[in-house]
Amino acid sequence: MADETRPEKVTITVDGQEMVVGNGALLIQAAQDNGNYIPRFCWHARMNPVGMCRMCLVEVETPRGPRLVTACTTPVNDGMEVDTQSDVVKKAQEGVLEFLLINHPLDCPVCDRGGECPLQDQTMSYGPGESRFVEEKRHFEKPIEISDLVLLDRERCILCARCTRFSDEISGDPLIEFKDRGNYTQVLTFPDEPFASYFSGNTVQICPVGALTAKPYRFRARPWDLEAVESTCTHCSVGCRISVQASQNQVLRFLGVDNDATNHGWLCDKGRFGFEYINSPDRLGTPLIKGEDGEFREASWGEALDVVADHLGSILGPEVAGLGGARGTNEEAFAFGKFMRTIVVTPHLDAQLGDGLDPQFLVAATPRSAIPDLESAATILVWGPDLKEELPVLYLRVRRAATELGANLVVVHPRRTGLDDVATHKLTYRPGEGAAMLAAIAGGEHPEVTEVLNEGPVVALIGRPGLTEDARLAESVAAFARDLPEAGLLPLARRSNVYGALDMGLAPNLLPGRVAATADAGRAALEDAWGPLPEAPGRDAAGIMTGLAEGELKGLVLLGSDPVRDFVDPALARKALEAAEFVVAFDLFLSDSARMADVVLPVEGFAESEGTVTNLEGRVQKVNRLIPGPGQSRPTWSILDDLAARMGGDLGAASAEDVSREIADLAPAYAGITWEALDWGVGREGLVAPLPEAEQPLEFVPVDAGGNGEAPKNFALHLARVLYDDGVLSRVAPSLAPLAPEAAVHLHPDDLGRLGAAVGDIVRVSAGNRGAVELPAVADASLATGTVYVPANLAATASLGAVLAVTVGKPS
Amino acid sequence: MNNWSEPNQRRAAALVAAYPDKRSAVMPLLYLASLEYGHCSSEAMRDVSELTGMTAAQVQSVASFYTMYKREGVGTYLISVCTSISCMLLGGDDVLAAVADATDTPPGETSVDGMFSVEHVECIGACGGAPAVQVNYELIEGVEPDKATGLCQWLRDGRPDVVLSDEMQQLFGGQRSFEWGPPERSGAVAPVPAFEPYGSAKDGR
Amino acid sequence: MSDTLILTGRMEAHTSDSHTLKRYEATGGYEALRKALAEMTPEQVQEELTLSEIRGRGGAFFPCGMKWGFLAPSETRYLVINGDESEPGTFKDRQLLERDPHQLIEGIVISCYALGVNQAFVYIRGEYPRPARRVQAAIEEARAAGYVGENILGSGLDVDVMVHLGGGAYICGEETALLNSLEGKRGEPRIKPPFPAVEGLYAKPTIVNNVETISNVPWIITNGGVAYAAIGPEGSRGSRMFSLSGHINNPGNVEIVMGMTWRELLYDIGGGIPNGRELKMWIPGGASAPWFTQKHLDTLVTHDDVTAEGSMLGSGAIVVMDDTTCVVKAAHRVVKFFAHESCGQCTPCREGTSWLERMLWRIENGAGRQIDLDLLLDVSDNISPGLQWPPAMTTICPLGPSAVSPITSIMGYFRDEVAQHVDEGGCPLG
Repeated sequence: MADETRPEKVTITVDGQEMVVGNGALLIQAAQDNGNYIPRFCWHARMNPVGMCRMCLVEVETPRGPRLVTACTTPVNDGMEVDTQSDVVKKAQEGVLEFLLINHPLDCPVCDRGGECPLQDQTMSYGPGESRFVEEKRHFEKPIEISDLVLLDRERCILCARCTRFSDEISGDPLIEFKDRGNYTQVLTFPDEPFASYFSGNTVQICPVGALTAKPYRFRARPWDLEAVESTCTHCSVGCRISVQASQNQVLRFLGVDNDATNHGWLCDKGRFGFEYINSPDRLGTPLIKGEDGEFREASWGEALDVVADHLGSILGPEVAGLGGARGTNEEAFAFGKFMRTIVVTPHLDAQLGDGLDPQFLVAATPRSAIPDLESAATILVWGPDLKEELPVLYLRVRRAATELGANLVVVHPRRTGLDDVATHKLTYRPGEGAAMLAAIAGGEHPEVTEVLNEGPVVALIGRPGLTEDARLAESVAAFARDLPEAGLLPLARRSNVYGALDMGLAPNLLPGRVAATADAGRAALEDAWGPLPEAPGRDAAGIMTGLAEGELKGLVLLGSDPVRDFVDPALARKALEAAEFVVAFDLFLSDSARMADVVLPVEGFAESEGTVTNLEGRVQKVNRLIPGPGQSRPTWSILDDLAARMGGDLGAASAEDVSREIADLAPAYAGITWEALDWGVGREGLVAPLPEAEQPLEFVPVDAGGNGEAPKNFALHLARVLYDDGVLSRVAPSLAPLAPEAAVHLHPDDLGRLGAAVGDIVRVSAGNRGAVELPAVADASLATGTVYVPANLAATASLGAVLAVTVGKPS
Repeated sequence: MNNWSEPNQRRAAALVAAYPDKRSAVMPLLYLASLEYGHCSSEAMRDVSELTGMTAAQVQSVASFYTMYKREGVGTYLISVCTSISCMLLGGDDVLAAVADATDTPPGETSVDGMFSVEHVECIGACGGAPAVQVNYELIEGVEPDKATGLCQWLRDGRPDVVLSDEMQQLFGGQRSFEWGPPERSGAVAPVPAFEPYGSAKDGR
Repeated sequence: MSDTLILTGRMEAHTSDSHTLKRYEATGGYEALRKALAEMTPEQVQEELTLSEIRGRGGAFFPCGMKWGFLAPSETRYLVINGDESEPGTFKDRQLLERDPHQLIEGIVISCYALGVNQAFVYIRGEYPRPARRVQAAIEEARAAGYVGENILGSGLDVDVMVHLGGGAYICGEETALLNSLEGKRGEPRIKPPFPAVEGLYAKPTIVNNVETISNVPWIITNGGVAYAAIGPEGSRGSRMFSLSGHINNPGNVEIVMGMTWRELLYDIGGGIPNGRELKMWIPGGASAPWFTQKHLDTLVTHDDVTAEGSMLGSGAIVVMDDTTCVVKAAHRVVKFFAHESCGQCTPCREGTSWLERMLWRIENGAGRQIDLDLLLDVSDNISPGLQWPPAMTTICPLGPSAVSPITSIMGYFRDEVAQHVDEGGCPLG
């Protein structure tokens, strides 16, 4: 209902300077955009204004003379005249600062915030010289632990409510709140109910004083000692912009960097605090070669690479397979693909581990949405993973669309999800019955859902709700969703740079730049540069595992991949690695899979090497180097270049930037996406591939693939990931490792009753030859009966394979 | 809430249903829960959080904003003495001292035997009958210090189950803000404002 | 004067049962509702209110007809009655709630008819259980008699009235804080605009009116807005309840027509100062109002005259102080009230009111410093810039500036006495 008569731009005057600003914009933002910074504490551009701290008081001209208003709560209107420098304004602002300081402990020398503290800075700029307050200051016990990650010092707190508003408004878990009132007001949690939010670190970052501090950073450095570089978080595929900060070659913290495209400045705690793995003493710093005795011994690079070159050279090309690439950069993935396809000469490449979706669907489904499209969506359909657990900052963006921007939200999932509270409609089904649910929706059996799905624009976020579900279900859902009004698709996969790895051709059916591996024209173009390519398509992860286990394949190259942990059938993965004649692992850690390798090569990881990554929108962003890798670790591309030479070839990878130039040259969807173009100075939002003038050769139009319409008679297993799991990077992060939840078997209360099991009783879930777990039972009424939910990849559940039909019962 | 009395469970359900948004029931429910637990304890707030769908931290935030949700244990009789301007002018401070003395309980505390809690309060809207006192929020106006002493003694001796405003006014009160009209039979059963929908009012003698 | 008793006539005449439906009906009760439903359109009811020139009796004195006119169109709208009377010195609404609840309920139902509202709330402060019980009982009587509920008097009008008890927070008398409280939140005032008439309870258009204001509605409908506007001087029409307390011979509520002098109100109606003492000062309109002294005795009791003298009629609470009263102690007690009742969300009020309170306490108790005299005023100025009347404010709501009123009063009229506290190391009055 846009008001036709309402002009888009208006002219205001601030301190005598005319500004043309957006009509209805908040004065504080409009002035700032035009170079006039009005001081503030409580206002945050990504949250609703509350006008509480009163620091942004300015005078606005009214018919009855100048009137003091808070710039953060005042929308501009045409002709508005503002004075931010009058004597009245200055005195009011000085007064507010004095009020804020009278109860502030001024313990800046021992405060983490000292040196980067808005209160300190503004006191220097606007504050009174000395205190006139002689009464006793407020006292609180300090600091108190309000969660495993966050400490609260209520004496330093200036009660701006940024933290409480964030947790209520943005993350939707209001576990910290104001308590008491007036001069006794404090921020606090409820007794025995800690601030256990996946997003708690954001409150530390936006706290304008040192009231909230993060345990992993506390007393570790002074801001002026930190070196910083902007980069992209690679904990999941959202690709949040961050500032990586280090001191003395140790990464000490990540801060979110505001941008419209991805994260709005927010991070999840796994992303924020997960950096600890970088500094882990368990990082590999020396090449390892397994001896006859089955024990690893340290080796020189020369010796290790000779062993690898010998073995890979002696096995016939197509008998070697490569897995991984999703945890590194595009440059690493590209170099790996080129190495495998042109030096080893094999088509068997997969960056996914049977837990994802068809690579062509993931990278090339049309019509494609980007994250910012959520802001203008009328309806959002989420049929995929629980975003809060798997893609947390995307959860924040969808939540914002539903709560602040009025979008309808339809969530379809086998269990409750983090978004259910704000969903317009939620539909629950048993794993295996997804196709039937889709048919029911498409057939109008849920008219209330149909009604909102028919309101466009629709953005459909489609992925795999759990590991047991057929990957083709997502394509069927996409085929349905793309016909909704003004629909756009955002296919979802979780693992950090999986989209980049697929775009670089680390898939059995893709060549670099979103070219189908079987497409003649695309193959010919690449063969012009690289020479003959192996026959396509190659084997996917499941085919590789079976091939190795059955002796059809003999060699395996793991690029930061841990199939023994992450492949959907861990037992088969173990069998495959045992059967393989030769396994070489490029890794940061001696993962369960690397342990089974013959040679392990230590690589440089995040913050140690530079390159680009691609997020779930296809947005290419830069990751940057700040510290050296541990020991003798080397960049992956450099190791591969060295290996290629030893095998008589030439990879041409003299530097990551060289590789990036080859990508821009040879990967069609990445044409024009150079490091220069990605410079953070330009828009700071990365570039979505392909650029408007570039071509994306592959257009994947989803058709109804049928999914699997067959649910088991007994119990259907829902096996899905949780944010804090027993993955190798979390396991070695001291702050995150303790946060993994207790493993349990979740059943509907009626099923518990039928099984004669009480909450807490040990229940056995058996997946036949894909393993079994025995764990305490938990009642979960959000499940359909006949569903059993087990969180994936916890220490106690990692051995359970993803299989739909399981038996559930009391242990024998 | 399963441990709540059956009538109060019914009242809780009615309150949650009565408002256009169930969160609005939080204040009435806090009274009900205080009645069930003797004060606005953590358990009480947790129950209210379940009833309203708020987090416990949100319920605590609301409860702690208001002065009448007593988050510490409170005596059988909460004696509130007004010391705001009008009552101060006419001796409210002396009345408070007399109550503290007679109950051996400093303002802000609860007597050792759990019989009395004593507090000074801001204006309770009885300025025309200053100084004013409330027992479990039932009002007595025009209270002199010696009458206040007598009131405490009377409560200790008689231990009334239901505290009746008119009865106390007749025995210990004086000047009133206005003519009260006929006596009321309904009074307070606990340090919670006596109001039938909140389960806190009962007919007395 | 009895012919001008609009609000209190029934309770004066029928001490024993003015709160019952039987008495209410026997004295013309609910006739106004019948008239409105049978003979008037909602617009005509609104028009009568506008013609009456009645202004809000909660303290802000805003023209009621204009407020109603701001109510935004919406399918759902609310009427909320502000019975959170908590301003020190004020007890008039308590009497109206307790002694004539049907008068209020009839006013509510008529107002709902005029405003297109089906749900009204009566927010009564938690410390008023007896008034709440009386109103609740009256609602039940009225419902049984068909004056409240569905299809009222066969007119098709549905109005539900619900009593909601507060939890002990003066600030909930501020209308947006009251709405937050009613929504189950902390009673923190909202930033205005939006005003409640546009975005109020549950973000729906809402009218918030004081108990006394709405209690006038039946009379206005019965007698006409013009008749109401004929009473009292321009700008201060109708009769008004005043609460007299403190050092005065006849404490209590009085319903008077505005326009007399303060001398007449305090001495003729209030009976003067007890024990042969002299009048030192009084608060003319609740604790938020700047004080008056002897020199204001011949000022007229009207909105305009009192405003011109730098104060307000506010909530109608008149607190009288004789010459034995220590100005520092009295001011401290009032400032302490506001510090205690500050919601704490905005900085100047949260920090400033308790700073002022603690300074006054020090001065009263002999630890004042010379610099404190000017510091009191400067800190006050940082809450209410310019220390002018009506007050400017650095705060979200007027509570902070309210705490400044006693300070400007004693520093303006009694600075020597305050200074004496500092010089003599304590209160000169002992």
